[in-house]
Amino acid sequence: MSNKHKLYQAFATGLGIELDSVKDELAYNSIPQWDSTAHMILIAEIENQFDVMLDTDDIIDLSSVQKAQSILGKYDVSFN
Amino acid sequence: MLKGYQVVLRDINQDDLSMLRDWRNSAEVSRYMLSQEQITAEQQLAWFNKIQRDESQQHWIIEYKQQAIGSINIKANTVGKKLTEAKELEVGLYIADNRYRGNIVAFAPTLLVNDYCFNQLGVEALIAVVKTDNQAALSYNQKLGYQLQKQQDNLQHIRLNQANYEQATSTIKQLLSRPSKH
Repeated sequence: MSNKHKLYQAFATGLGIELDSVKDELAYNSIPQWDSTAHMILIAEIENQFDVMLDTDDIIDLSSVQKAQSILGKYDVSFN
Repeated sequence: MLKGYQVVLRDINQDDLSMLRDWRNSAEVSRYMLSQEQITAEQQLAWFNKIQRDESQQHWIIEYKQQAIGSINIKANTVGKKLTEAKELEVGLYIADNRYRGNIVAFAPTLLVNDYCFNQLGVEALIAVVKTDNQAALSYNQKLGYQLQKQQDNLQHIRLNQANYEQATSTIKQLLSRPSKH
């Protein structure tokens, strides 16, 4: 499974939405499901999928699927 | 000054008044205030002078990454009571910076103030009065553990005790307490 697919899966599971609804443009608070509670579950999902522990700055900055990819890049997770 | 969960709460000084007035008078903030009256510079200066010597309330500027992003305050719920004597306090908050409204960092100032109220001031409960159409604030307070006490006209009176607060916020506190630099 590619890292992109793993990330999309983490968003689908963390936010409780269909995998088809996940796209790079999906942003925090743009859908009712992605609120602060879901954000915490999403962080846990991403951390489990990629075996990383995000800094608080990154947890706060993780505001879209696209942004998640650039943040995970700092943790040596590649999306190329 | 209070510091934690990635934010700093500092006392308001006179240089902040213009910024605070702009925030408070903005449509986005004032629409959810109990009074929509526009605050004049004179009214605000009188308010500022009052709070300097009023021991029943305390106001802070919220700073995140050295930038002012909003304001938070606590007030004694009983007339004449000092903050140090009151059993119940009311917390007021607004995040003026759009980037952080609705973001989990918006919980940080409240967590800091609530910890201060319960652990240092020793209050029994925190209370708030929220307009029923302010769904964002109601949802926000629910996530902090507040429970509905009564609904009156278009206002919800909600209350938070320490046990409910600690239970509701343990996860978000952990996330906001991690190291802040990778």
